[in-house]
Amino acid sequence: MAGLTEDHPQIGIDDIIDGSEQKLNEDIVERESGGGAREMAPPAGNSIHRSGSRPQLDLSKAAIQGNFEERDPTILLPNQSDDISHLALDIGGSLIKLIYFSRHEDRSVKDRRKKFLEEKIGVSNGIRRSYPILGGRLHFVKFETAKINECLDFISSKQLHRGGMDAHDWNSDAPDNENAVIKATGGGAHKFADLFKERLGVSIEKEDEMNCLVAGANFLLKAIRHEAFTHMEGQKEFVQIDQNDLFPYLLVNIGSGVSMIKVDGDGKFQRVSGTNVGGGTYWGLGKLLTKCKSFDELLELSQRGDNRTIDMLVGDIYGGMDYSKIGLSASTIASSFGKAISENKNLEDYRPEDISLSLLRMISYNIGQISYLNALRFGLKRIFFGGFFIRGHAYTMDTISFAVHFWSKGDAQAMFLRHEGFLGALGAFMSYEKHGLDDLMVHHLVERFPMGAPYTGGKIHGPPLGDLNEKISWMAKFVQKGTEITGPVPMASPRTTGLGGFEVPSSKGATLRSDASNLNVGVLHLVPTLEVFPLLADPKIYEPNTIDLAEQGELQYWFTVLSEHLPDLVDKAVASEGGTDDAKRRGDAFARAFSAHLARLMEEPAAYGKLGLANLLELREECLREFQFIDAYRSIKQRENEASLAVLPDLLMELDGMNEETRLLTLIEGVLAANIFDWGSRACVELYHKGTIIEIYRMSRNKMQRPWRVDDFDVFKERMLGSGDEKPHPHKRALLFVDNSGADVVLGMLPLARELLRRGTEVVLVANSLPALNDVTAMELPDIVAEAAKHCDILRRAAEAGGLLVDAMINSQDVNKENSSSVPLMVVENGCGSPCIDLRQVSSELAAAAKDADLVILEGMGRALHTNFNAQFKCDALKLAMVKNQRLAEKLIKGYIYDCVCRYEPASS
Amino acid sequence: MEVGMRRQLEERESKIMLPNQSADEVSHLAVDIGGSLIKVVYSSSNNNNEADDKGKKSSNDCVGIPNGSSDYPVLCGRLHFAKFETSKINDCLEFISSKQLHRCGGWHQEASPHDKNIIKATGGGAYKFADLFKEKLGVSLDKVDEMDCLVAGSNFLLKTVHPEAFTYIDGREEYVQIDHNDLYPYLLVNIGSGVSMIKVDGDGKFDRVSGTSVGGGTFWGLGKLLTKCKSFDELLELSHKGNNRVIDMLVGDIYGGGDYPKIGLSSTAIASSFGKAISENKELEDYGREDISRSLLRMISNNIGQISYLNALRFGLKRIFFGGFFIRGHAYTMDTISVAVHFWSKGEAKAMFLRHEGFLGALGAFTSYKSHGLDNITTH
Repeated sequence: MAGLTEDHPQIGIDDIIDGSEQKLNEDIVERESGGGAREMAPPAGNSIHRSGSRPQLDLSKAAIQGNFEERDPTILLPNQSDDISHLALDIGGSLIKLIYFSRHEDRSVKDRRKKFLEEKIGVSNGIRRSYPILGGRLHFVKFETAKINECLDFISSKQLHRGGMDAHDWNSDAPDNENAVIKATGGGAHKFADLFKERLGVSIEKEDEMNCLVAGANFLLKAIRHEAFTHMEGQKEFVQIDQNDLFPYLLVNIGSGVSMIKVDGDGKFQRVSGTNVGGGTYWGLGKLLTKCKSFDELLELSQRGDNRTIDMLVGDIYGGMDYSKIGLSASTIASSFGKAISENKNLEDYRPEDISLSLLRMISYNIGQISYLNALRFGLKRIFFGGFFIRGHAYTMDTISFAVHFWSKGDAQAMFLRHEGFLGALGAFMSYEKHGLDDLMVHHLVERFPMGAPYTGGKIHGPPLGDLNEKISWMAKFVQKGTEITGPVPMASPRTTGLGGFEVPSSKGATLRSDASNLNVGVLHLVPTLEVFPLLADPKIYEPNTIDLAEQGELQYWFTVLSEHLPDLVDKAVASEGGTDDAKRRGDAFARAFSAHLARLMEEPAAYGKLGLANLLELREECLREFQFIDAYRSIKQRENEASLAVLPDLLMELDGMNEETRLLTLIEGVLAANIFDWGSRACVELYHKGTIIEIYRMSRNKMQRPWRVDDFDVFKERMLGSGDEKPHPHKRALLFVDNSGADVVLGMLPLARELLRRGTEVVLVANSLPALNDVTAMELPDIVAEAAKHCDILRRAAEAGGLLVDAMINSQDVNKENSSSVPLMVVENGCGSPCIDLRQVSSELAAAAKDADLVILEGMGRALHTNFNAQFKCDALKLAMVKNQRLAEKLIKGYIYDCVCRYEPASS
Repeated sequence: MEVGMRRQLEERESKIMLPNQSADEVSHLAVDIGGSLIKVVYSSSNNNNEADDKGKKSSNDCVGIPNGSSDYPVLCGRLHFAKFETSKINDCLEFISSKQLHRCGGWHQEASPHDKNIIKATGGGAYKFADLFKEKLGVSLDKVDEMDCLVAGSNFLLKTVHPEAFTYIDGREEYVQIDHNDLYPYLLVNIGSGVSMIKVDGDGKFDRVSGTSVGGGTFWGLGKLLTKCKSFDELLELSHKGNNRVIDMLVGDIYGGGDYPKIGLSSTAIASSFGKAISENKELEDYGREDISRSLLRMISNNIGQISYLNALRFGLKRIFFGGFFIRGHAYTMDTISVAVHFWSKGEAKAMFLRHEGFLGALGAFTSYKSHGLDNITTH
């Protein structure tokens, strides 16, 4: 997706600058010079001047503070009043949940291409932005309340209470505002107010708990696509909820006690019921009965328990028989703890494990039942369960689900929230007057799982790692045994900064995650510029992933593919950074981190939300970027582009010698043939050793025997050329989603684009915002087009008209006038940094370009097969790809490796 | 059989001596063998005086059954009620044996051999202990469906016995006159080891609509583990003296002593049963057994009251009758259940209790003897 790591903000799409044009970012140049110096020159103040529509931050004289290598470089805002906070807390009895916002200013490069696009297709982020949404990230962190000092250190080290100033470079003459306020909720908000005042000099402003809960839940359910899930018999299934059909619902918050809240809308809710038998009862009674020292220990115990030793089952009463007349099976619990009556045993004679499980079942079951009865009473379709009692614990969720299912006879389903622990904190965050979250839509948010995610399992806070070096050493300290991961508990160093210093824990790793089914909570990237692709026939039913990885076999397969491909990728990545020792260390850390992600997902496929192949492939790219591998395939891409461009003139000549019909077929063949050049496919990588690009291309094209496995060419041809005397009108504008660099784009897609241009169709080449494998990026494309244009007038005129040719771009206004007769060739970025594309979240410039388009061409496995194979569009759509994977070929088209797909679907009208 | 039945009815006589009724002739017997308790109902002639009941847990009661418009010569007798712990089933067997109760089913010589030695029984244990009864007493247990028995027992009591139903508010019992023509539908909540909630629409017309596993067995089972009490009654007794605030987390504990008026919770409402045990550095031994018992009782009563009310609401039932051994006329239990129903219904519903609460099943089994004549008995 947006792939905006703070390490290279200049190529982000999160363009919230409406100010002056910036010259090409120096940072890129520095990077490419290969040195380790990534120091960022503080930009001039006016370069990030903002429009007045976002009143909450005064960014004048803002400057980036600290080493640019930092994970969360922050921006010093000396003129920002200090009572603006980016931090909210929910201080509960056992856990402190902290949410903080880190600003993420993408000073996107206003190059000529972009400027041209603004004028030509009306993309203008500055103008469009009338809402006060900030680009940035929401971080979710948990601390144990008993270790509140860790939390205070964390806040202090990140200077969160001062609006996110950086600790190291905190400007001492900045005013120390004693009136700074942090919003907080939870019982501890009162209790620890003095401590916060004393340690951080901030006041805690207490927000109503129930308000916060509801606000948090509403936000999550509306803004996060795969937030809610069902949990039956150990199986998680994410439920997509229509935002317009969310209310009313029942929110059951299981804390010490249980509150049941009927939610009718934003800020509209009523506590309709509750029960005093809740998490506190489980823990309290459990503590008395088992002498457990912590809630987690008690939960842990229950995993190994057998409640039959202590619960009286229907079978115990009926001598092993069911009481089928009233629908009770022999294993139904007739009486919780009922067996303790008749047996001559004392507390010590029962296993604590069994007691814990009986207790857990009793309480979960009871909550499920009362919740269902209340939902029924108010006619509520959905029941969401949250609160600390659940803690992602599989058995708890199963029991509650079972109860709801049982009592409703299958009519109602219990649902759970991935961010369940953070409802209150989120709500507190939203209680700031201008948090900007209200306006966020689901497509504005991208959730990412940083390298620590597999280790922390969403349970404990991730380490506040200062820089890349710390990341690498943190990574290196993890020990991996098979798929079982153990990790050190982040500990505060003696310096009490809370930074660095991780020690191997004395307890075994398992206690870190008492339950593998605990879901991870990632960092929420707020990217206000993302939009839903406007040409989707029905965004509501759109599902990007073609392959469902919920099936274990499928996941296993892709796990293996990615694992096998990993060493090669690491080699490429290290080579792309000059093969230095530093690059090697980073490569090593990347491999560990990505392997850990894979292991985590094998263990719990739902750990990061609904898992599709697209997510998995993107995770890999994100992980590379996290270790500052900007573009692992850079040199390969360059070499292949050059080699392909060299043979392009010959190919164009050959094409021009053909009649229209033959040419169209040859062009489509060419696209399919050229799609063989794909470094993401292992089979193809091996091909590379067998010949030159043009040889492979020709061989591949010669092998194109129609009919292809999916062959709608004739229908497409008729649309393009008509039949008989009838000449169809050409398309107005075509969006070509390109795939790989080299032959794929140069010998495949460019000639096709040229043909469309020749027919009077505007062409928009849609390319990645950030590198992914050897995919061509929107940054690289203009140069490729410019080079190709040297040999072809059609391309040259169109590129000039599309603002892609540097020499002709003295004044884009003039260019527009001069070339008004020519149809333009344009390049837009798609908003992604992945080999696949989720069309629910694309860049605003792509969305704008799509408005006049009446043809979409998706090319390559990632964008036309792995994703979008089944996508329906409002306009004509052509999906072209060569299948370079045997399993996918079998699964998708019942064919073989190297089979071709040419799927044409006319506008659904 | 016919004769046997008549004889049984004759044995009920207490006020009217029948000339042909032999004085020592006892009666019919029905048992309800639950998970924790065995309830025994038997009838005897008036000569059988209460002092004969030697069962440890026995209680005696007399139901005056005046002659009604029965086809049978319904006579007056006594119905006796006795309880035993299921784990001490041998006490029960001895009791039956000592009174020769098991002989009465087919006592009359004219009874067919097939009917001999059959006792009507209900409750889960009717299955489980069938062999034991056969072995020890030589009688077969004729299993009668538990729910059928409960409902029959309760319908019988509500229609026949006055006063039977009462409310319990602030420590005061208040008998409620129920118009039999306006009895149905009602919710019958039977709190045994577990809890069954039954919607009763008429004689033999009912549906188990809900239930919960958190019942009397939970109170006693958990209570036993927590307090080392030896008996249910001891545990109940303890709860009298307890203070639940010691262990329960109250709304006031969370909100610094204040109410949470926004959602209508007073500071003394229990926010989390046993919730205080979390934060305090105390072990089980550091808490008073009385306080534990009290918290447990409140937790369970409150929960049952709540679920019952929600089910009554769901089916639009005006009356909720609570029965089963858990209640046992225990004031505090009744009080918490009443409070729960009152609280959740915002005063619209009232919990009602039955005087013969523990014996519904056994009574029902008793009434399942064919032609017992009890069907037609009315309160007058």
